[in-house]
Amino acid sequence: MNRVIRVEHLARVEGHGGITVELDRDTVRGVQFDVFEGLRLIEGLVKGRSFEDVPQIVSRICAICSVAHAVTCIKAIENAFDVIPSEQTVRLRDLLFRGENIESHALHLFLLALPDYLGFPSATAMAAEHRNVVELGLRLKKLGNTIQETIGGRAIHPVNCVVGGFGGAPSVNQLTRLRTDLQRGLRDCERAIDLWASLAPTDFCHSDTVYAALTPPSGYGYYQGSEITMLTRGIPRVMPAEELHLHNRETTITHSHARHSSFDGRPFMVGALGRLAVNGEKLAGGAVTAMQQLGLELPSDNPMDNNKAQVVELMFDIEHALAEVDSLLNEGLRRERATSVRPREGMGLAVTEAPRGLLSYRLGFDGEGRVTSANIITPTAFNASSVEDHFAHAVTQSPDKSTAALTHRLEMIARAYDPCISCSVHVVQSQRDT
Amino acid sequence: MPKPAVGMFGLTGCAGDQLTVLNCEDELLGMVELLDIRDFLTASSDRDESCPLDIAFVEGVVASKRDEERLRRIRARCDTLVALGTCAVCGGIPAMDRDFDRDRLIVDLYGPGGRQFDALPVRALHEVVSVNVKITGCPIEKHEFLACIASLLNGDLPILPEYPVCMECRLRENRCLLIHDGLCCLGPITLGGCHARCPSLGVSCVGCRGPARDANLEAAVMVFEQHGLPRDVVWQRLQTFAPVPDGRLPQAWEER
Repeated sequence: MNRVIRVEHLARVEGHGGITVELDRDTVRGVQFDVFEGLRLIEGLVKGRSFEDVPQIVSRICAICSVAHAVTCIKAIENAFDVIPSEQTVRLRDLLFRGENIESHALHLFLLALPDYLGFPSATAMAAEHRNVVELGLRLKKLGNTIQETIGGRAIHPVNCVVGGFGGAPSVNQLTRLRTDLQRGLRDCERAIDLWASLAPTDFCHSDTVYAALTPPSGYGYYQGSEITMLTRGIPRVMPAEELHLHNRETTITHSHARHSSFDGRPFMVGALGRLAVNGEKLAGGAVTAMQQLGLELPSDNPMDNNKAQVVELMFDIEHALAEVDSLLNEGLRRERATSVRPREGMGLAVTEAPRGLLSYRLGFDGEGRVTSANIITPTAFNASSVEDHFAHAVTQSPDKSTAALTHRLEMIARAYDPCISCSVHVVQSQRDT
Repeated sequence: MPKPAVGMFGLTGCAGDQLTVLNCEDELLGMVELLDIRDFLTASSDRDESCPLDIAFVEGVVASKRDEERLRRIRARCDTLVALGTCAVCGGIPAMDRDFDRDRLIVDLYGPGGRQFDALPVRALHEVVSVNVKITGCPIEKHEFLACIASLLNGDLPILPEYPVCMECRLRENRCLLIHDGLCCLGPITLGGCHARCPSLGVSCVGCRGPARDANLEAAVMVFEQHGLPRDVVWQRLQTFAPVPDGRLPQAWEER
């Protein structure tokens, strides 16, 4: 007997998507992560535009990852034109990425994912019984936004990031206020770890997952670096970002849907859990304790652990941001102009870690600095294949094959991936719907 | 007073306006106590997809048949339709498609198979249905959204600025990026309400809030040209967030 399990419109995720799983008795016959997002054709629309205009345009691909889009684009432009930003710029960009990560993780963990664990349809419904918990999540989320406002000039679509540096530097007053917020954030984050460690285990999907993440030149971060690491069965392989990029470009555009990106024929997962798998030994301080408290072992074989991985990153980012703000205050911020830019013909490549995982930009320019080609691969596009793989495992491994039980598990897996469907520039629409 | 039934919807877009609503961290829990939120897919899996609504907030553009059908259904079930954000109000970034051969764009990006996708030329909400309130901004400003809620709860329509960004920029005593530095700052023709965020950081206004009511586009273009800015660069920049209807200067620009 055949049946179809369908989540028409996935709630509590960013953007418009659904899930379809076809079963023949209890055997999975087909799995599809459907995308209903309209086409915005942004990679086409930037052609012919001056390089100066492009970061503000691509930022609009996605609000939650707008820092990652704007700054990765800037990094690609600087790569094309051989612009070396100042050390202060690099530090502020690093901090800005952490702000975005904190906001995005807190939003996802508390407003989108947690209601599943505590049995509520939404965070506001959850607030009726667990007001403290919702307020805790909102404070952490606000902390991320405060960092983004302080460095980027706005919480969404940062206005202060320009090619070569920043428009203006934050004031001492702003940094001092931020420092106080971060100190409170540390205490809040400890409570968040306690909370997530106390939740019932979500132990219904195991698979041998391939992970990919940026390899920072030092430490655990999201902005610096030009190499990535693929981790297969615990064995790392480091490669220049170009390799992955070229490889993926082919598979993304030649398939109508479903199989979007793979490495050596296997899907791979990007995001917080992938970053921890690849770079986990670079963590220090409260994040290490958090990992123990949450019982997170790396590399994990359970995609639901992505939620725990986000909690660990929250702790690391808040500690790191506090130390960084302290040293910026001690050393003093210089008023500096953005490094000047001389456009030239060529290609620029950049890869970073958006909150949801690897983000890759490849931009071509003519001699006047106008875009001739643009290719953007987003975390949700990288993950599209992997999430379908995990859907299939979750269904196969579920002892209860009722539609209600399976639907609930599929939705929880989808949410654990924290998909950002607006972002899926290259994930092609579902044909079923058209 | 009964709580108004409210829906919050996103069509095709970046979700930045819904995210701005969720970014009202200090006000969120108080705000939801005053509203009966019935349909907000991004935030809740418990939704009523067909109940009548007093207020519907809609962000994003119409970029597919699916978007158009959803928008028409939302219009049919609500009293007051609020367009949320520059995409919904003016067409925003995706409406730059008006300057391109769309078929070629789609085939370039997705191959010939892309022609089968459900994709329509991009339209702002008012080009499809009637809109009662427009809150612009990319993304919207929190304080304007909250003021709008407060006004609607009192049975009023919100009063939002119609003046340009320069007005607020002058009040902040910023150095003028256009006159002093010769930069292509779109402040003179862009709707205020953002407290001149960008020029206050020394960054040119990119026009993300769409045109101000009495914007004199012809004069602005003349000033930009006097400062040696190439006309085609200026023209592209002007149309980044809000297309000039029919590509003409400037009467139609005021129609928003």
